[in-house]
Amino acid sequence: MIQILSLLVSVSLLSFIEYILPPILYIIVFPGLIVVLLMLFFMIWLERKVAAKTQLRFGPLYVSKRFGGVIQTVADLIRFSFQEFIIPAGADVFAYIQAPGLLMAFGLLPLIFIPVGPYYANIFPANYSLLIVIPLIIITPIYVILLGWASDNKFSFVGSIREAFLVISYEIPLILSILSMILLYGSVNAINGVSFQIGRGIPGIVLNPIAAFLFLVVMIRTTGRFPFEISEAESEVVMGPYTEYSALFFGIGMSLPYIELYSFSLLFSVLFLGGWWPIVPSAAAASGVVGGLLLPGLVVFIKALIVMAFLVFLRAVYPRYRIDQAITVGWDQALYLGFAAVALSIALVWSGLV
Amino acid sequence: MAYEEGFSIEKNSVEGAKMSASQDRATTANLTYDELAGLKAERELVLLIGPAHPGSGHMKIKVWMDGDIIQRVDPDIGFVHRTTEKLSENRLYIKAIPIVERVMLPDTINANLAYVIALERLLGIEPTPRAQYLRTLTSEINRITSHLYGIGLYGIFLGSSTVYMWAFADREPLIDLLEEISGARITYSYIIPGGVRWDLPAGFKERAETVLQYMEARLKDYEKIWVKNPVVMDRTEGVGIVSKSDAIRLGITGPNLRASGVDYDTRRAKPYAAYPNLDFNVPTFSEGDCYARLLQRVEEIEQSIRIIRQVLKDIPDGRIISDDIYSKMNPLQKRMYEMKHRVMFPAYMASMRPAAGRSTASVEAGRGEIFFYLVSNGDKVPFRFRWVTPSFLNLPFFTHVMVGQHLADLPAIYGSSDYFPPEADR
Repeated sequence: MIQILSLLVSVSLLSFIEYILPPILYIIVFPGLIVVLLMLFFMIWLERKVAAKTQLRFGPLYVSKRFGGVIQTVADLIRFSFQEFIIPAGADVFAYIQAPGLLMAFGLLPLIFIPVGPYYANIFPANYSLLIVIPLIIITPIYVILLGWASDNKFSFVGSIREAFLVISYEIPLILSILSMILLYGSVNAINGVSFQIGRGIPGIVLNPIAAFLFLVVMIRTTGRFPFEISEAESEVVMGPYTEYSALFFGIGMSLPYIELYSFSLLFSVLFLGGWWPIVPSAAAASGVVGGLLLPGLVVFIKALIVMAFLVFLRAVYPRYRIDQAITVGWDQALYLGFAAVALSIALVWSGLV
Repeated sequence: MAYEEGFSIEKNSVEGAKMSASQDRATTANLTYDELAGLKAERELVLLIGPAHPGSGHMKIKVWMDGDIIQRVDPDIGFVHRTTEKLSENRLYIKAIPIVERVMLPDTINANLAYVIALERLLGIEPTPRAQYLRTLTSEINRITSHLYGIGLYGIFLGSSTVYMWAFADREPLIDLLEEISGARITYSYIIPGGVRWDLPAGFKERAETVLQYMEARLKDYEKIWVKNPVVMDRTEGVGIVSKSDAIRLGITGPNLRASGVDYDTRRAKPYAAYPNLDFNVPTFSEGDCYARLLQRVEEIEQSIRIIRQVLKDIPDGRIISDDIYSKMNPLQKRMYEMKHRVMFPAYMASMRPAAGRSTASVEAGRGEIFFYLVSNGDKVPFRFRWVTPSFLNLPFFTHVMVGQHLADLPAIYGSSDYFPPEADR
């Protein structure tokens, strides 16, 4: 009896470790919530610190002085948590409260569909991952528009209108950029894309540099980095859609671009930087959590961190474009570049060069 | 000719823009006047930018917009009005010096100088040559700090925090130089009737040369990250154009006037201090857009560096205070002057009673021409104290240049005009 029970327990424990733990690990720990939170703290600190170094000042310093103020963001989070949450008198209360939460949810969702290791195929259906990621990335700005509209503030309104125009003008280049890589890899499964790059030994950025550049530009635009920090332009529209928000909800609005930046950067490393190359797990290792998920994931994460560090550094270099100039770039140069990227992919596939 | 140009501006300005915009809509449908007005009201968005807005400064800018296009701008100034004129009319002449300084903090020496020149003309005192050179020296150092202040604020208006931090940090060595001379960092009260208060400290020339070389090296950095930055050029070229005739008609002054191609500089047109003895260029640009105004300031910093070098080379020896004032000092003050080359105020300063009359003075400050008008009726305090500051003269930028531009151009034009609300409000 006891033997049977212990067998049952061990079997269920094994199945727990084998089947239930990895998805939880994926969502809660890496690359999901906990790593997102740590990344947020680190990236906001890094952005401020790098900009400060460029600008001949110290940046965050006094919270944990020994470590260069690295937990300044935690202090900011605590401050946000204890601030009063103000609802403006004329606001659409329901929309005003729900929009930041939905924004956060949809900002985090794409992470589930970006594989950071070959083991991913065992825990989630990966066959259509790229097709699912595109709409999930594109849907978040709708909630930015919603919260700008719900605030009943002219600056929020102008900011959300700006966001709407920019989203529309840059989503086609984004889709074209990803489409050209789908054509090249012959699959909408991101894992196949990575094995394609590893198999040929050439990363996507070399195969189709146009698409990579375009993706980078759209990434800067979507995450509101300079020089496309337009819908929140401080000297024009105060804080854009987030003008009326305070306390933790403002914190959500502030951290959302970084979360988007994170998912975009993970996608960029998977699509263009060879994913988990140089780690090429064997078939046996790929079926294990450590060899198939954590080690390759670490490589993808480091690549994403480098991409993010590059993008946040742009703050120190560029001022912002005017809205009509940014829209013109989206509908003109970026669109043509998108078609060029697709044409390049088709040419590469038809000519049989790759 | 001038009249016709003036008329065309009127057409392009407030009423003209409103009329043409409503005509465009009226031509397509047979709407009644009320319907048209309703349609217009629906399309129109009135933004109140300021006084507590990150991009407004101490003023309120009321903007009527149709879509993203500015139809009308109404700057509401006076939020930082300090009644300098009335305050000064109730104080001794000498006590007006700190008051006039307060309104233009990046550029205090020039305000001080303008007032003191007007006062000296009223008193009939002529400063010594060395004092003239020292006035020019401090004035030019202050001009550089003022331009750096303007460039830095323009940076934050367009979203570049880097140039903002750099420009404000690079004011430091120059402010340190002025601190060495005068003992204060911002409000120097350095220039007094008859001369200046302190002489150059020992070793100042070498330290000044180091700072000037540093400044020249930094200007190259600025060129890389700001002046030649493609985004800055896209944002500023062809934006907020003021033609030569408009600039003259609207009474715009200073670097903004010269950026529109008008070769006018008070330093040369109505020479004062040591400027007649110095060799310097007055840079001008013909474009009249925001980019020209930005380049104008950079070029003027280069010219100021050139002037400072000349002053340090040519500065004559002698007293820093005129004989009129020196003779009124008591023996202790005279001994102090001989020992430390430092002017202590003789009692005469507190009891100056200029003869009845009036005087004017013009000085080229960092942002343009300061004009002073003093009337004395022989009393201890001025009968009328009137001054016009450059920022106030540059106010037409808001009503005339911004109409027809995008909302995002508002900070671009505002920043390029280097408008400083406390200075305009006085």
